[in-house]
Parts: sequence; structure tokens; C-alpha cells
Amino acid sequence: MPSRIYLDYQSSKPVDPRVVDAMRPWFTERFGNPSSLHLEGDEATEALDGSRESVARFIGADRDEIIFTSGATESNNLAIIGYVTRNRRRGDHIVIAESEHISIHNIAKALEKQGFKVSKVGVDQYGRVSVEKLRRKIIDTTILVSIGWASSEIGTIQPMQEIAAVLRGRGIVLHSDAVAAEGLVPIDVRRVPVDLLTLSSNDIYGPKGLGALYIRKGVNIAPVMPGGGQERGLRSGTEDMPGIVGMAAAAGIMAAEMPAETLRLAQYRDRLIEGVLDRIPRSYLNGHPKARLPNNAHFRFDAIEGESLLLSLKDRGIAASTGSACSSKTLEPSHTLISYGLLHEEAHGSLEFTFGRWSGPADVDRVLEVLPGIVERLRSLSPLYEKEEKA
Amino acid sequence: MKSTSYSEKTLDHFRNPRNVGTLEGPDVAVGKVGNPVCGDLMYMYIRVSDDRIAEIRFQTFGCGSAVATSSMTTELVKGLTLDEAMKVTRTDVADALEGLPPIKMHCSNLAADALHDAIRSWREGRRGEAPAPPKAGEFRTSCGPPIAEPAVIEGAEELLAKGVYHGVEDPAAFVDKRVLIVDRGKPSVDAALALTKHTGRVIFMSANKEPSSKDDPRASLKRSDVKAIYEAEPVAVLGEGEVEKVRVHDIRENEEYELFVDAVVILAEADN
Repeated sequence: MPSRIYLDYQSSKPVDPRVVDAMRPWFTERFGNPSSLHLEGDEATEALDGSRESVARFIGADRDEIIFTSGATESNNLAIIGYVTRNRRRGDHIVIAESEHISIHNIAKALEKQGFKVSKVGVDQYGRVSVEKLRRKIIDTTILVSIGWASSEIGTIQPMQEIAAVLRGRGIVLHSDAVAAEGLVPIDVRRVPVDLLTLSSNDIYGPKGLGALYIRKGVNIAPVMPGGGQERGLRSGTEDMPGIVGMAAAAGIMAAEMPAETLRLAQYRDRLIEGVLDRIPRSYLNGHPKARLPNNAHFRFDAIEGESLLLSLKDRGIAASTGSACSSKTLEPSHTLISYGLLHEEAHGSLEFTFGRWSGPADVDRVLEVLPGIVERLRSLSPLYEKEEKA
Repeated sequence: MKSTSYSEKTLDHFRNPRNVGTLEGPDVAVGKVGNPVCGDLMYMYIRVSDDRIAEIRFQTFGCGSAVATSSMTTELVKGLTLDEAMKVTRTDVADALEGLPPIKMHCSNLAADALHDAIRSWREGRRGEAPAPPKAGEFRTSCGPPIAEPAVIEGAEELLAKGVYHGVEDPAAFVDKRVLIVDRGKPSVDAALALTKHTGRVIFMSANKEPSSKDDPRASLKRSDVKAIYEAEPVAVLGEGEVEKVRVHDIRENEEYELFVDAVVILAEADN
């Protein structure tokens, strides 16, 4: 049996060994607390500043615009809840995209319970936010719009420049969860004027349990977790120095390698998409054909179900992902897929491959070798396929 | 437990399903259960000889456990008499597979139901018929089997305005009455909730399965004073000059029973 082929980089990434090397001393030899005034403390402060600088440079920000958090979920909470509670006197209305990750929907739901009003802007058949629809959702009391930079699921990249242009000059803050896009598309907050930006460490091959929030100068937010006042009082708690140093190292490596790496991954993506659509009848690409993440190939197949696909791929040593209800905790299909117009039975037949730093051309070959047979076998069991064929 | 933590036996039946295919002929009956919208659809074909299942085949669209339970069901019942096969339950199938992840017990262990449906077809004389292809109306956006066609409920027309209502505009008609409201999607859920202001006894009856999602409008009934009954449908409204009771078809058990009520609300069919 050939070795495992991991094509689910959107779910989890290995930490780059170079990052692990950078982190190692901070567990044992360099254990100081940046708040301490002794030598060990000074050493930690210096590393904290340097790390902040490295993460800031990765997105074109200034050092004092970066706050370290425990990950993307915390960054999203701090950005959205922190901003709207601090600025409630200016308005109580926020707008999110229908296609957002569930974590954003749940934040919005929590805010609704506190009396905030939430509007959801729909997406088109490729999962792109319509700028026109967004304009119509904005009212006098709108204070924040949150749109993910790209979908980790269908890979569609949002027109962030145009979205920011709609909001410009209206006193509305733009937040973007960029975890799906970071390291895969260039993000420069000087060119695309977002005000709040969520980053995750693992999505650029850093350790899990660490993230960052970019807060544009002049944008005021309230902490959501009171405490000892670290991170400008916005994120209390003794700094996780190994994690922070790790995320910074990951950002530095990514900044240097990204241009060549994204071209390499896009080749695999394009070859896989072409091969699958070519070899498997009644297979379709989900998401935008062009404005899509360079590592993302998201398909759906008529008349078969995603979990069955995953189990069959697992037997052949391949790891992938699906938006089918049968593989979810709630038994509901992915709302991102539904939000862009798929019928439930179509969402059930979805299959996602995401490439990453340790992917190679042989991975594409192997998928193209086994997937047509798997789809054919499952269709031979399926009452839907035969009937559709007869019809 | 993860939804895909399957036993080796389940995985074996998924990888090497037994008795896949279809059967044809005058001695064949077909059972069907599920809905592609919900990610599961099964057809079970039985060839009956001397009141025994002589041959059995299945086709399944669904997840790993949907395929495995179909396969195991065919193994369990082959050669059994129809009476014996009717007694095979979802639990028997799950046990034979050395257990299923709990979350899969509700959603995809439908194979025994498909088998029972096939036996019912046989007994009701629907033999040698090809299964009906999925109707357009079945491809809906919410889960559960399709709402029963706004089937003619026997007696409903005769008792119109004598306890049968097509709306709840006149609350006075329902004060302190025992009201049965038939599932017609969200408007009927809203009507049921509204009626609880006027009477302490509101029964909501749905041919659908109990909602598993909070987004299903029917889920809101759970925390209300409405008594919700799922997988059941009224087949007749009975009474002399006014509604006295309804005859109810329990879909899961395939049994009928009577329920005493004062009023029956059947809203016009609405989009679900």
C-alpha cells in the first residue's frame, strides 16, 4: 500500500520543522515573562517585539497594529464583539456574508441576543459577495461589515478591494477573517483598506493555539476578556512566547516562499480540476473558476454521498474533506454550500482537496488514478444514478 | 464518537456490499425509504416464493452506514418468511453490524424500514412494479420524508366548518377545544403556536420524522405547549354532524388508531 496522501491542508497543517527549531529554546532556556524587568524578561520583550514586527510585515501593517491571540476564533470574537460593544452608541447594525464560516454566524447570533441587528448578504453561484447587494444591506446604523477574505471550503476569493470601496467614507469598519487566504493570496492592508483582520498561525504552518488580530490605527475596540492588561489591554494573559515566536517564524518563511509556492500549488490544483472533470462524468467544480485559492479543488458528483467518498479514499490512503451532512456533527450539510445555491443532495456529494507545502505532483496522479473508480463503484450502488441515466 | 467511527463489520459491508442490484418480475415487490435531500435513499427489492424472501437486492445512495445497513439487512432476511422479516428491526441490523455510531442510529439505519416497505407493497398487491422515480416534489430543501401529498383526508370535506377548518383566523372557534393541526410547513407550525393562546390542547401531526435540526421550523414546537406527533398522518375525520375523532396512520409502525379531537385544522398546502 502506498504511503498516505494528505490533501486536507485546509483542516490542519503540520508545523514546519524550521518553525519548530525557532520555537524550541522558548520552552526551556528562554522562559522569561515579557512583563518582568530582569534579563530573562528583557529577552522575552525583545522577542515579542520582533515577532510582532514579523507578523505585521507579513500583511503590510505596523507593529503596534498587531495583537496576539489564541487563534482565529478568538481574533474573530475580539474583532467583532470588541468593536461593536465599544462603538454601540454609533449604531447597532452589522452585516455578514451568508457564506461565512459557522464561527462568524455564531458570533452574529450571540450579538443578536444582546440586541444588535444582523443582516446577511447573499453570494452568487460562485460564492462571491455581490457588491450591489452589500450596498443595499447598509443602513444608517451599520457600524461593521465582516466578510471572510476567501472561503476555506469552496476556495472562492472575495472581491475585498471592491467591498472596501463600498464602505469607504461611511464610517463603517470592515473586518475580514483571512485564515483561508493567508499564505495563499497576497494580503496587504495598505492596498486593501480593511480595518480588522483575523490571522491564524497554523494556517501558515505555525503552531496551533495561536493567532493574531490586525487592528488599524484609530479603530477602537474593547477587550472581551478582562485581566492583567497585556497586549495593550486588549488581550490579557501572559504571552505564549513559544507560540508567538513560532507564528512569527512561520510568517517570515511564508513571506519569502509564497510567490513560488502558490504557483506550484496552482499547477496541482489546475491539473486535478481538469483531470477530474475530464475523467468523471457528471462531476462539477464548486466555487469560482478563476478567483479561487491556488490550493483548492472542490467538486461535487451526482448521485453519490460525500462520506462514502471519504471512506473509500481513506481505504486508498488519501485524506480529503466533504461538506456532506453525514460527516458533520449536526447532520446538516455545510451552510456555505447551501448559501451559494446548492441543493442539499448536491452538497451531500461534495469533495474537497486542498494542497499544501508537502504536496507533490504524484499526489495528483494518485487521486486521478483512483477517484474515477471510486465514483463509479458508489454510483453502481446508488439508485439515483441509474434512474437519472435512464431518464 | 466520530460519526465515521465504524466497526470492522460495518466497514466490510461498506467495502463489499452483498446483494447489490435490482430484481424484476411478477413475483417481485419494491420498498423505498429516504430522500436524497437528506443524504439517504434506499430501494429494497424482494422476490417472494411460498411467503418467503427467496431473493433480495438493494440500491442505496448514502453514507457508509447507509450502504452497510442495506447490505446487512439483505443478509439477515434472505430465506425468512415475510412475517419473520417484518420483525427485523433497525436495532437488529445495527447489532448485526456490531453497533453503529450513535448519531447514525437515527439518520441512516433505514434499511429495515425499506424492507418493511417492500413487504407491505407485496401484501398490498403492488407486485412486479418498477419503483416510482423520485418525484420533483421530493427534492425539497428541508429534511425528513416528503410531507404526505395533501392527501384526501376522508370526511374532511363533509365536516368543513363543523370542526374542520382551513385557517385559524377565528380564534373563538378553538377556545378550549382539542385541536389537531396537520403539518403543512411553517404556516402550520405558526398556527399551532398561535392556537396555544386559546386552548390547552393542540396536537401537531406530521408525516415527517422528528426534526433533527434547530433550523427546522417544527423544532420550535419542542419548547412549546404544542404536542407534536411525528411519522403519523390523519387518514379520516370521523363524526356525525361535527368532528368527533380522527383515524391516524402511524407510519413507522404501519398501524392505525383513533384520536378524539374537537377540531382539525388543514391549511392550504404551502411551500415548505
